Amino acid sequence: MNFFKNLFQRRQMESEMDTELRFHIDSFTADLIRQGIPSDEALRRARMEFGAIEAKKEECRESLGLRLWDELRGDCRYGVRMMKQNPGFTAVAVVSLGLGIGANTAIFTFAQEILLKTMAVPHSERLRMLNWAVVDPKAHFPGPAWGSFGPGLASPFPYRLYQEMRRHNEVLDDLVAFKDVYHLSATVNGQAEPVDGMLVSGNFYRSIAPKMIAGRPIAPEDDSLSASPVVVISDAYWARRFGRSAEALGKIISLNRVPVTIIGVNAPEFKGAKAGGTYEIFFPLSLQPQVLPIRDGSLLAIDNYWWLMVMGRLKAGVTDQAAGIALEAGFRNAFHATMPEKKDFPHFSIIKGSRGLDRRQLEFTKPIYLLLALAGLVLLIACANLANLLLARSTTRQREMSLRLAMGATRSRVMRQVLTEAMLLASLGGAAGLLLGYWGRNFIPSLFDDSWHPSGIDPQMDWRVFAFAFAITLITGLLFGVAPAWRSTRADVNSGLQETGRMSTGRPRAFLGKALVVCQVSLSLLLLVGAGLFLRTLLNLRTTAIGFNPEHILLFDINPPRSQYPWPKGVALYQRIEEKLAILPGVQSVTLSAEPLLANSMDRNCFRPTGKPPGPAEQDPPWTNSVGPNFFETFGIPIVNGRSFTARDNHSVPDVAIVNRRFARESFPNENPVGRTITSCERGDNPTPIEIVGVSADAKYSDIRGEAPPTIYFSFPQDNKGRATFELKTAASTPSIVAEIREVVRSIDKDLPVQEVRTQTQQIEATLSQERVFATLTSGFGILALILASIGIYGIMSYTVSRRTNEIGIRMALGARSTVVLSMVLRETLLLALIGIAAGLASAAAVTRLAATMLYNLKPTDPLTFVAAAFLLTIIALASGFIPARRASSVDPMHALRHE
Amino acid sequence: MAKPLDLLQGTLDMLILKAISLGPLHGYGILLRIQQISKDRLEIQQGSLYPALYRLEHQGWIASVWGESENNRKAKYYSLTARGKRQLQLEAENWNRMTDVIGGILSTAKEEL
Repeated sequence: MNFFKNLFQRRQMESEMDTELRFHIDSFTADLIRQGIPSDEALRRARMEFGAIEAKKEECRESLGLRLWDELRGDCRYGVRMMKQNPGFTAVAVVSLGLGIGANTAIFTFAQEILLKTMAVPHSERLRMLNWAVVDPKAHFPGPAWGSFGPGLASPFPYRLYQEMRRHNEVLDDLVAFKDVYHLSATVNGQAEPVDGMLVSGNFYRSIAPKMIAGRPIAPEDDSLSASPVVVISDAYWARRFGRSAEALGKIISLNRVPVTIIGVNAPEFKGAKAGGTYEIFFPLSLQPQVLPIRDGSLLAIDNYWWLMVMGRLKAGVTDQAAGIALEAGFRNAFHATMPEKKDFPHFSIIKGSRGLDRRQLEFTKPIYLLLALAGLVLLIACANLANLLLARSTTRQREMSLRLAMGATRSRVMRQVLTEAMLLASLGGAAGLLLGYWGRNFIPSLFDDSWHPSGIDPQMDWRVFAFAFAITLITGLLFGVAPAWRSTRADVNSGLQETGRMSTGRPRAFLGKALVVCQVSLSLLLLVGAGLFLRTLLNLRTTAIGFNPEHILLFDINPPRSQYPWPKGVALYQRIEEKLAILPGVQSVTLSAEPLLANSMDRNCFRPTGKPPGPAEQDPPWTNSVGPNFFETFGIPIVNGRSFTARDNHSVPDVAIVNRRFARESFPNENPVGRTITSCERGDNPTPIEIVGVSADAKYSDIRGEAPPTIYFSFPQDNKGRATFELKTAASTPSIVAEIREVVRSIDKDLPVQEVRTQTQQIEATLSQERVFATLTSGFGILALILASIGIYGIMSYTVSRRTNEIGIRMALGARSTVVLSMVLRETLLLALIGIAAGLASAAAVTRLAATMLYNLKPTDPLTFVAAAFLLTIIALASGFIPARRASSVDPMHALRHE
Repeated sequence: MAKPLDLLQGTLDMLILKAISLGPLHGYGILLRIQQISKDRLEIQQGSLYPALYRLEHQGWIASVWGESENNRKAKYYSLTARGKRQLQLEAENWNRMTDVIGGILSTAKEEL
């Protein structure tokens, strides 16, 4: 028999023990009878010699290691009974712990989705991506590029260089290439829809090996200019467009008007070469010239065009260092072989690729740690609260504990019992928290959503979340259980058993409890200050001057495929849409721009006053945007000098530009820029000068935090980039005007989807998501902390008042007025609160610095916030101390003196 | 007959192992055998036998099976496991060394120092 068998087949084990012991006694009795002793006497003697049967049984159970278990069960049963007896206390405990643990769990769930989740492919931990950077400031950029660069990000590579590297690779299983592409237009059964997709090299599916749930993957043969065009779709797209019907396989859909055949469906967990990606259509690199004709058509043939992301899995046993050295040599050779004219060799390195293109961790890591810290603070306050309530209760239970000790329970046994009760409460709170975390798992991602489309973050609960919730439950149980457990064994057995014992215990001031309340108040103040700072930041950002009027402006995007609308046919398309929109009822003005305003997107190109030597513009190029006629009127940006754009500024006349005041000031100091010209620093040997026709007031461009940058506006018909955002100033209600917009665009081209319809204010709000999340969560935490602190203060003051009933009665009998008693209790409350607030202010001043970069127009020690938080907390403290104070002041002296 | 000796602390386990090493026995049988071998010179608290047996079994030194007793009743028979045999040997050696040392000390006469 082993321990677990004994544990789970307890009844059998008990009955066997019974049988065995009875056999012993019976045999002994029989032997005694055989010696001539009468049977009654024999049984009596047998029992006597055996000893106390129940005690021996208990010893047997202990030998089997079952005693601890039995005691635990007993303690638990007792604990449950105690909880039932104090439903109010239990509710406060479970709710406050549940909220604390729930908040932590929800944030952890979010964190593990953002920080820990990797691409759903085998051995993602061995994936590496290639990266290069131009380190030398004097070096030339090695060619045109399409993609993003930055520290910690993988960089794009030219197609031929990739192939060269792949041919000579010996350290990775294979090198695969891919490119993320956005806003493709996919037409199924005549319905066009914008989708994001991924171009993949022919060996991508074979080497990276993502799981498929239907059909076949893209094979190397598919990645050839002569192959028939095929695509693999995502599970989400399959479900949305085809209801997971098997008929989707083999179906021909059109992708940017190119007919392609669906050959397979990815498993739901594979979201492309990016953890948490939302790519829906995967197609071979060889389709790029047809589907995404960029520049001169085929990027595959341009040796110095940097656009493909390259990834590979480390071979077993190859270290990062060895792989880095081998790949750098490969890169160097391939670079010289494919671009012999380039001299400046970029710096090469490999980076971790388990998350693919995902870069959310770069922007979210700090906020997540901050949120976890804040949620941890809330939990700490809840723990302090419970420790306090349990401490107060342990005093009222002193008699019980003394009795237990008097009857022979050891101190550790009593301590264990109190801890078990605490753990029981903690696990109830933990279960509630897990449930809350589960319901709330989508709440935090939803805070990051733009109001017109979801963020695509879909956190799942997995074993890590459960382990986390379990661990913090255990820690909280210990945190709030240890002090009461320790205290309960300090009980003096003698005085504890006497009815009046607690009068003589010389420690009625509840020092430990008060210290806990002070801690609670100071932590709450910290949270309140945080909430105040983030709220003020959000408020400051929302009210800051942006240089244009965002009210009543509706935005939508149009992305006409270049294959269908090569320049200047695209310009004509935009003009037709613009003209038709302008005559819609309720539309005051219509314009368009290459980049939407305050959407975290921008374009920067090097331009300098014609004839000036190269200067700062090379290092810090001005910001550029192409805008339609009416742009300045629609956004209410005043033209301070010269003229605005008109419909006549098209491609049949020389290019013109409007610059903002800051550019004018910085590039044409003390001069009138109107009539002067600027030239591009890049375009060939003989760039055409562009005449400045006007100067506008400064307006913010891509982000609301910084100052308005030096900006050059070009006329959209002269500088068409393809994709554009239309901006309508309208007083009409959004839904009705959106339907009309769609109708207008459909009437011009039925395959052209209207994308991303939103208002300018929504667009601005979207760039403030992080600030909004912080303001919302810290305010929530702050309110929670206030509630917990008020419960704490109420608890400790009620407790002190009830302990001092006798004293108060004597005071009143001697003539103290009730107002005196009232103010005495309130004074004590105020003292506690003020000590806590002082400690909280000091610690807040020390730690808010850490969040300084997240604030806007605000010092981390903003006096208004600090004073307001302190004031609010004082009021709450006094209010929660008032009820016990009233109770004390209305004590009936006669009653109080008889009390106890 | 002299008054039976109380068992030395910690020696009951060893005696049980020894008793069982001579052949499988039920609890009462173990008691009888120890008394028989010791010629009733040892006093064993009957009830203490069982916690010891459970402990030894929990440690894996003895194993038990249910069987029929001499008077046709269900009884639990204990036997020594391989680990139990090694343990018995070890404890016997330790005991002998201990008694040698203690005996040597106690029999020391003054002039031997």
